[in-house]
Amino acid sequence: MIETLRKKGAGNPLKCVQCGSCTSACPVTLIREDFNPRRIVGSIARFNRLPDQDPWLCSTCSLCSERCPQAVNPFSIIMVLRSVLYENGGEAPLSILKMVEQVRETGLAFPLTPESREKRRLLCLPEAGLSEQGLSEVRRILREAGFK
Amino acid sequence: MSLTLYLGCVIRTVQPEVEKAVKETLSRIGVSFSEQPEASCCAPSWFFSLSREAWLRLNERNMRLLNSTVVTACDDCFASLSDAFRIIAESKGVKPPGLKPFQTLLLERLREVKPRLGFKGLRCAVQHSCRFLRPAGRGLDNPEDPKTVKSVLEALGFLPVSYEGELNCCGGFVSDENVGGEMARLKAGSAEKAGADCIVATCSHCMLRLSPVSRIPVLHLGQLSAFSLGSDPLQIGFPEALLRRVVKR
Ligand code: SF4
Ligand code: SF4
Repeated sequence: MIETLRKKGAGNPLKCVQCGSCTSACPVTLIREDFNPRRIVGSIARFNRLPDQDPWLCSTCSLCSERCPQAVNPFSIIMVLRSVLYENGGEAPLSILKMVEQVRETGLAFPLTPESREKRRLLCLPEAGLSEQGLSEVRRILREAGFK
Repeated sequence: MSLTLYLGCVIRTVQPEVEKAVKETLSRIGVSFSEQPEASCCAPSWFFSLSREAWLRLNERNMRLLNSTVVTACDDCFASLSDAFRIIAESKGVKPPGLKPFQTLLLERLREVKPRLGFKGLRCAVQHSCRFLRPAGRGLDNPEDPKTVKSVLEALGFLPVSYEGELNCCGGFVSDENVGGEMARLKAGSAEKAGADCIVATCSHCMLRLSPVSRIPVLHLGQLSAFSLGSDPLQIGFPEALLRRVVKR
């Protein structure tokens, strides 16, 4: 795990002194005590294993990284954790997978509904969405990056 | 001044009135801009956290397409593009395109262009996006005491109000609806309690998170700037309830 983090350019858990500044700053911990960035970093640094916490709870606010006195960067560690879990067959939230699917459809992460197209027309805004050529480039990138 | 406008996915699909407002604002402050309709989603943190490769490659494509200085209308796009462009440019030994958030550009321009202040100010609670505040090293604003959006609002004739938890994250990217919704409710409730007439955001995802739980309207800064600079409120989705307040005070 530590090696994977290093390869993906995400912080250094070994520098963690378990001071807890990250957790004190974390807005999600305030609502869900079971989510704890200090413990996430700790289980990687001490046991070199995947923490048993849901990295998808993180709001990606990056306050933990800002407050960390050791430049550990818990936020980027959590981002890499997500990708490692996903690559190993773990679940990702449906809302997020839907956005990826949407990017494959139109190049944009949210749907261009008939209503939004009509609204754009009424406001004299140009058509949104990529050309077929652009879309095939985007789809190739997604395919090659491993999205089925 | 000529720039490329990068609006992002949410504005182009879900919030066309914000697109209208941002474009009206730019025209009214004398900024000419072009667009790059072939640019894709900036693949921000939720995407990056599934695949760093897809994030970098989609933005390598975007970087090829966006070759003049880019102005972004959503802070999440700003952060994603700016991080990706830096990494890509370093690996290729080239200079990345310049990037500027909408509010930073507005602040610069409003020093020269004086808006039409034909109304009495609305009280605005600012939703400072995490992406604009951090990392502090990006140097966009002071993350502990951000001033950019408030200064823009003042220059436009609005009254920024402070509120408890002003710097807290709104929960925009929490995938768990209960947790994200609770974070947003706390913020929106606190803004309302402080007497704000509306919440002003510069990130589309903050808007999406706050709008469904807020009892006061949530607007993009561009809607307020376009209004203040004389745009037709109907075209820019300026809420009627706020219009009435503007006249009343
Ligand atoms: S703030 Fe940094 S050093 Fe302190 S516990 Fe968190 S990751 Fe470790
Ligand atoms: S980035 Fe995630 S873990 Fe870090 S403080 Fe924010 S919500 Fe908590």
